[in-house]
Amino acid sequence: MLNPWYLIIANPVLNVLIALSHILGGSFGWAIIVLTIVIRLAMWPLTKRQLNSTKALQGMQPKIQELQKKYGKNQQKLQQEMMKLYKEAGVNPLGCIWPMLIQFPIWIALYQAIVAALATTPDNLLSLAHRLYSWSVIGQAIPLSSYFLGLNLGASGNFLLAIIVGGTMWVQQRMTQAPSVDPRQESQSRMMLLMMPLMFGFLTFLFPSGLALYWAVSNIVGIITQYFVTGGWGYLKFSFPSRAPAKK
Amino acid sequence: MVAVNVSSQSVLWPQTFASTAIYTTPTVNDGLVYVATYAGEVYALRAVDGAKKWVYPPKDEGYIGAVVGSLVLANGVVYTASSDGNVYAVNATDGTGKRVTDHVLAEKLWTSPAVMGDTLYVSTFDGRIYSLSAQTGASLSWSFRGTAGFASSPVLYGDTIFLGSFDRHLYAVKIGSDEPAWRFPQEKSAGNWFWACPIVSDDIVYAPCLDGKLYAVNATTGKEVWSYPTKDENGNPSAIVVSPVLMDSLLLVTNEAGSLYVFDLGTESGRQGVPLTTIPIGVKVNSSFCAQNGAAYIRGENDSLYVVDIGTGQVGLPIPLTG
Repeated sequence: MLNPWYLIIANPVLNVLIALSHILGGSFGWAIIVLTIVIRLAMWPLTKRQLNSTKALQGMQPKIQELQKKYGKNQQKLQQEMMKLYKEAGVNPLGCIWPMLIQFPIWIALYQAIVAALATTPDNLLSLAHRLYSWSVIGQAIPLSSYFLGLNLGASGNFLLAIIVGGTMWVQQRMTQAPSVDPRQESQSRMMLLMMPLMFGFLTFLFPSGLALYWAVSNIVGIITQYFVTGGWGYLKFSFPSRAPAKK
Repeated sequence: MVAVNVSSQSVLWPQTFASTAIYTTPTVNDGLVYVATYAGEVYALRAVDGAKKWVYPPKDEGYIGAVVGSLVLANGVVYTASSDGNVYAVNATDGTGKRVTDHVLAEKLWTSPAVMGDTLYVSTFDGRIYSLSAQTGASLSWSFRGTAGFASSPVLYGDTIFLGSFDRHLYAVKIGSDEPAWRFPQEKSAGNWFWACPIVSDDIVYAPCLDGKLYAVNATTGKEVWSYPTKDENGNPSAIVVSPVLMDSLLLVTNEAGSLYVFDLGTESGRQGVPLTTIPIGVKVNSSFCAQNGAAYIRGENDSLYVVDIGTGQVGLPIPLTG
């Protein structure tokens, strides 16, 4: 019996991706881009909810910072006061996490679909045969061309894509990450802000370029939606300190 | 790469190629074994002890693209298609070789070329069959363009090429024609790809399919003569990944689940698709196999070789090929 994961999520995503590739003139690269955007749009209600929660939390930052100043040395009290604040404002601090978690299976399926569809070895191509629908469009699309805009989507080690993925991830994170008045927390946040894009940039370098393309597009779509929902660049502006001369 | 003495059923010699896979089926001729690797090297080994006689390209000349399709030996030349989209010709005796294609035929070539006289026929994943001069590699005037990519290597029978496609059909293409002579099944598609090469005997094409069926098709009309569904131990269809083998009048086919089906084409029931016997090997099978003198030699996915006595149905103890 077929694994429910493949039956319900992974195989539909894989087959749609391959069919899309044929419809888009045999370009797997365009199929990745279009499907990433389509899934992002389909997830819009969840994304909007997540961004609204993030925005609400951002709006509360002055009050949170005030509390951090006031109770910074008493973590227990700080937590109590913050929970009280969230309750009064009707904001669930986990509200931005659940929509993200629900989207995870789709992104994992898309990730797996890209790897499976590229079928870079004969074993992979043979395995792919057992996951495809009998749609005629699929038969005409297989096997997919690995080349897109000069990129070999099945090959790893693309430095430019690694920079794009790392860079766009940094921008997206920076837009939502509020500065903290607690120096220790601020230092941790800065470290995370740097580590995640570096890690993903490194992974991009190791994984096939098809995945890197998906990450890059996903990040760019995320930046655009965040820009319009939260109404601007969010906390990204804090990255550019004023160049005005310091007062003596 | 391992040589096994079938009399003593012991490993004669192993030959290791630096951390790479081998997808090709070895070809043996005149005391030499020819094999190519996924790293893009073609080797000639002495059959007696496995010593390397030559390697193409030579070590200081790098690699050709990964080789997946089996080598073809004709007129003292070893032909190989490569993942770089080219076909190479190597002198079988001294290993001197060259790229013979005048242009890249496809993004990658994972199939074997077929040779007839002075002409090479190459099928591609983008649905083309090219004819090339076996001497110079120059493209000849005839080529064929299908509507879907070809999954299997071309098989020549008379003036017709038979091959499987990713659109779940088997095609017959007459050399020189722009249209297929027929496609099978004619209406609906089969349950999966015709991945492995068919074999042709007495005007019947025996085509293994990943849907688990062996199809017998009239080579002239493309009409089904019979089909036989192979199963796994639970009674579910099991893909046929490798080509059938003909030993005298016996047609042998293995499925992925590890059963060997024997059809005696010399009998009426065999010609109607009723197997003479079914022999469970007890291990998954994804590799091509050979048969000789009443025995089939089958490599299991557990890296062991099984010797199957067709007459008695006995499966010998596994001969470990590694370690």
